[in-house]
Amino acid sequence: MDSTISVSKGCFVFKNGATRADKSKKATKRKKASPGQTGILGKEITDQPFYAVYAETWNKIQSHIDALQIESSAKTLQELVDYVVKESKNEEKYLGLVEIVPAAALLTGINQPDHLEQFDNLSHRINEQISASICLLQSRDCSTLKSAVETMVYNFIEAPHEDDEDRDHKRLRKSQCTMNQLKTWYRNNWPDASHKNPQSNEEDNANSKARHMLIVILPDFECFNAFILQDLILILSSNCTDLPFMLILGIATSIAAVHNALPYHVTSKIKLRIFKTQSAPVGLNEILEKVILSPKYAFHLSGKAFKFLTHIFLYYDFSINGFIQGFKYCLMEHYFQGNAYALCCNYSTSLTKIKALTHDDMEMIRKQLSFRPYVESINDCKRIIAILTDDDYLKKKLPSLLKECHIYFMLYRIFLEFLTVLVEDLPKCPLGKFRRELYATCLAKDVCSQPEYKECWQVLAFMSKDEFVAKISKAITQTQEFYEQEIHEKLELFADCEEIVITKLHDVKELLTKVVMAGMDAGKSQQQQQQQTTVTSPEELKQVSSRQDLKDKLLQMSKEQKPVSEFAKSVQETLDYIEKEIVMTHLGPLQKAPPLHELFVFSDIATVKRNIIGAPRAALHMALNNPHFYLQCKCCNLRENTQLLPSLPDISVMYKLHLECGRMINLYDWLQAFRSVVDFTEDDQEQIDPQIQARFTRAVAELQFLGYIKMSKRKTDHATRLTW
Amino acid sequence: MYTTELLENRYPCRTDFIRILYCMVSKSEENFPSAIYISGHTGTGKTAIVKDFLNIHAECENNRTVLVNCVECYTTKILYEHILEELVLGGTRCDNFKEFVEILRQAKNVEQSGFVVALDNADRLRDMDNNILPSLLRLQEFTGLNICVLLISQIPLEKYYCKTGVSEVISLYTPQYTKVETLKILSGSFENTVHMLKCRINDNCDAKVQRNQLVIVEQITQEFYNNYLNIFLSVFYKACRDVPELKITASKCFFTYMEPVLNGNVELSDVARLWRNIAVPLRSSLSQVYMRFDKVESEMLSNHNLEGNLADNSLRKLARAFELPFYGKYLLIAAFLASHNSANQDKRLFVKHHGKQRKRLQSVNAKAKVAEKMSSSLGPKSFSLDRLLAIFYAILDEKVGLTCNLLSQISTLVHLKLLGFVSGENNVMDGSARLQCTVGLEFILYIGKVVGFNVYQYLCDFA
Repeated sequence: MDSTISVSKGCFVFKNGATRADKSKKATKRKKASPGQTGILGKEITDQPFYAVYAETWNKIQSHIDALQIESSAKTLQELVDYVVKESKNEEKYLGLVEIVPAAALLTGINQPDHLEQFDNLSHRINEQISASICLLQSRDCSTLKSAVETMVYNFIEAPHEDDEDRDHKRLRKSQCTMNQLKTWYRNNWPDASHKNPQSNEEDNANSKARHMLIVILPDFECFNAFILQDLILILSSNCTDLPFMLILGIATSIAAVHNALPYHVTSKIKLRIFKTQSAPVGLNEILEKVILSPKYAFHLSGKAFKFLTHIFLYYDFSINGFIQGFKYCLMEHYFQGNAYALCCNYSTSLTKIKALTHDDMEMIRKQLSFRPYVESINDCKRIIAILTDDDYLKKKLPSLLKECHIYFMLYRIFLEFLTVLVEDLPKCPLGKFRRELYATCLAKDVCSQPEYKECWQVLAFMSKDEFVAKISKAITQTQEFYEQEIHEKLELFADCEEIVITKLHDVKELLTKVVMAGMDAGKSQQQQQQQTTVTSPEELKQVSSRQDLKDKLLQMSKEQKPVSEFAKSVQETLDYIEKEIVMTHLGPLQKAPPLHELFVFSDIATVKRNIIGAPRAALHMALNNPHFYLQCKCCNLRENTQLLPSLPDISVMYKLHLECGRMINLYDWLQAFRSVVDFTEDDQEQIDPQIQARFTRAVAELQFLGYIKMSKRKTDHATRLTW
Repeated sequence: MYTTELLENRYPCRTDFIRILYCMVSKSEENFPSAIYISGHTGTGKTAIVKDFLNIHAECENNRTVLVNCVECYTTKILYEHILEELVLGGTRCDNFKEFVEILRQAKNVEQSGFVVALDNADRLRDMDNNILPSLLRLQEFTGLNICVLLISQIPLEKYYCKTGVSEVISLYTPQYTKVETLKILSGSFENTVHMLKCRINDNCDAKVQRNQLVIVEQITQEFYNNYLNIFLSVFYKACRDVPELKITASKCFFTYMEPVLNGNVELSDVARLWRNIAVPLRSSLSQVYMRFDKVESEMLSNHNLEGNLADNSLRKLARAFELPFYGKYLLIAAFLASHNSANQDKRLFVKHHGKQRKRLQSVNAKAKVAEKMSSSLGPKSFSLDRLLAIFYAILDEKVGLTCNLLSQISTLVHLKLLGFVSGENNVMDGSARLQCTVGLEFILYIGKVVGFNVYQYLCDFA
């Protein structure tokens, strides 16, 4: 340090090589430390029992979702990879056309940020199968052709070394990254493949199968400037003989976008194959049905919360990622309510957790809404007192209560399957097609009283025999299958549901055989009946003497109820049974759920809404209109929103005043109004206090900064309102 | 004459062009012309011939050659350095034309005596620095080397207007191939096509079928292929004369052509039935020429059946392929309405009790719209963000909060190029940005149908 005594002379850089090593050590240290730490949360939170349960549940769900997503995207990605592999043995070479870049268009769906991960996944897969360098070229790096080419070349040459330990080799400057540089680099690294002239003779083509591919991925095709893209493709194609390029385009809209962006002379340089990924709504459905509605997890969303999350997805953004984060948020909110919620886990685990509960936790349990009806239902006074005051007594009772909840939700899920099959393909789908819709409606309201439900039942009753029988038996088999695959022997407590499920399904089956038999018998009896009626009625009518008589008779006949066929009767019986024993008992609304279901169901929709949906305008309006809401100060407690107090912040006063104005605001009037609020002296003629004027000016500037007003250029001393 | 023969074999029907080129730029003892301008349409063999010519040239004689694609040269520095790298050998830095000439001059000492610089897509030179084109044309004069600059481009030389003037250049034109010539060229790829067919059979089928099919393939003669090409060109020659494109399409369609034969349904000699089979696929692939869809076999077949009304079909397909969120659809419809209605009609269209309109002669006249005044034929007009949102709220029955999610939908639509910024892209914040809807009426009608919204009802042109 002696060489630089003076600080004032400037800054000096010391190159001693130590810094690099330090950094890498730090990095590894941090990595090692990270599993133990839990991010921003302090130890006092992470040590709580509810946190452990939360973390465990979330990890399970997350890994389940990940596995599902990988599985569902696997097929398309595999096809794509196969195509890439196949392209190494280029067919067009036989035709003497070498300047054609093979390209794959991946139709991804409109939510672009969601798909970046998918492309990472893709490049990993490609790297596993063939030798290739991959460059992910995003539109933000390609504002000019120069930067596009430079980024691409840089990514090819430098990116693999980014995390190398020794970075002794000289790094390229961006401006040195040209196509020529890439060519030299390629020749140096894979000399055997590129030394020969591809046109020389055909035997070489056999060898060239193993050429190292250079794959360029454009994840957001639509965002590229069309002209830059055209030039980029022309460059790739003109270098195609030396460098085996391949393009992968991520297209959010449809394949027509390619032809809109590229003219003929460019498309003729590429060879395009189209791949389609699973569309976002389908993907979401899969996640919902297989993960979130899975009986494996103790945590449930209430009908409203469930609907809210799917609503954001379907109506706003189609972002699966967003949905998962929203779900995670609900999960967090749920568990963070307190340690009592640690009971929301497996039955056997929750038994061990009960012991750890403190008095406060027990109080929390007692405060649950569904606890009161439970207490009221007990008719023994002593027991009521015990349960309300004695923690130990309640602890003894808890296991049975929890068990009841677990079984309730399990049965809920099982019979949801049954109902879904019944109503999913009815004409116009009054109750919806998907399990998610049914789940949300059943849990939110009493489904039996809904008009849609009645419509469904009517349609079911009108079905022909074959259809009806087929439908019910399909529902039975599906429910059974679901039970066997998901629950039987896999989840604890399965034995308790088994009996109920089997008896109910058995009853339905019996009723169904009745329906079948009824049809058989009815066939004969109906015919007989019909014969009787057809034979009798004309005779009767013939016997009639007068017109009046005929009229009476006809009226009487029409009033007489038609004999209900046995078939219709048995169908009605079956449906009634299903309604009473399955839908009413097992698919009832949340209010009918057993006591303490709040521990398992998250329904605090208002908090979630406030926190995950950003409404900046509303929030700003609230802050300016009623600062007390955020400031919580004593001075500006407003009786009503329009009230003006001098103690309000200046900007708030100004904002309220400007709400009363039209499109144009006269600054002088505004200033006068401001003064009258802030400093109400009777005397109007008096010179305006410069301090007030300064405060006014500052508030105007602040409003302008927030985008509420703009100074008008047309009219002097006026401001234009920008919001309504 | 070895060079010319080789090239003539490789590029039939271009004998004159190759000969002339060879005469002018071949022997390094003779003086090259300082510049040659080669023009002609795409797919007439300009670049390919020059490329091969240069390769052979560089091998046979003591010449150095370089081919530069001007698209790559987004800075002149790259152009210079690329040329120098090949001509002088060894990486050199070169920032401007002066240095470029200087370095070339020094190269004189080297024993190589002929230099050829070929610039593909030479029209791009016009967009570079002003001095480049004129000075490249006089490069021989500047450097004193026996150097020739070949400019290859699709546009005629007359389009190179330059303030400082361009010196005289020899210009060569490659005319489009006639039908007979095209046939000759395409029939040259007979062996390759058969070879590819064999490869395909080897890839796909099981052993027994494979053997049978390979026997059939052996029977294909050049004559049979030429017959096929005749049929093929009778459909395609009117639409497309780009030889590489025709080559690819011809070989692709040949596989479809051969399919019934390979399956054993049709005899190889039964040309009439083969023609009946291929007519529909040919027509459908005519609509896809240049698009270069690389399809799987089965898809190709299934497509032939549906492609009766292609234009209509593709639009519907496009609309169906779009999966927009519900509000996204409504925003798009609102944007369309904002683009195609004038703002002073908004009140009448979207407000329920808008009061009675007074009828005046002037307004009646104004309403009697001629076709040119229809806004659908005038194209979309721009609108502000506020108006978009106002219309959105007016056409949507339910109440939705103005949330981030909703606003971000607008930017998503812009990203997807369904909406476009007309002005003020950078100041979205102060509300002066103006947008425009870029999709057509039919598309919107389709989307409207999906969400159950009658678009016609809200369009001034139709209401």
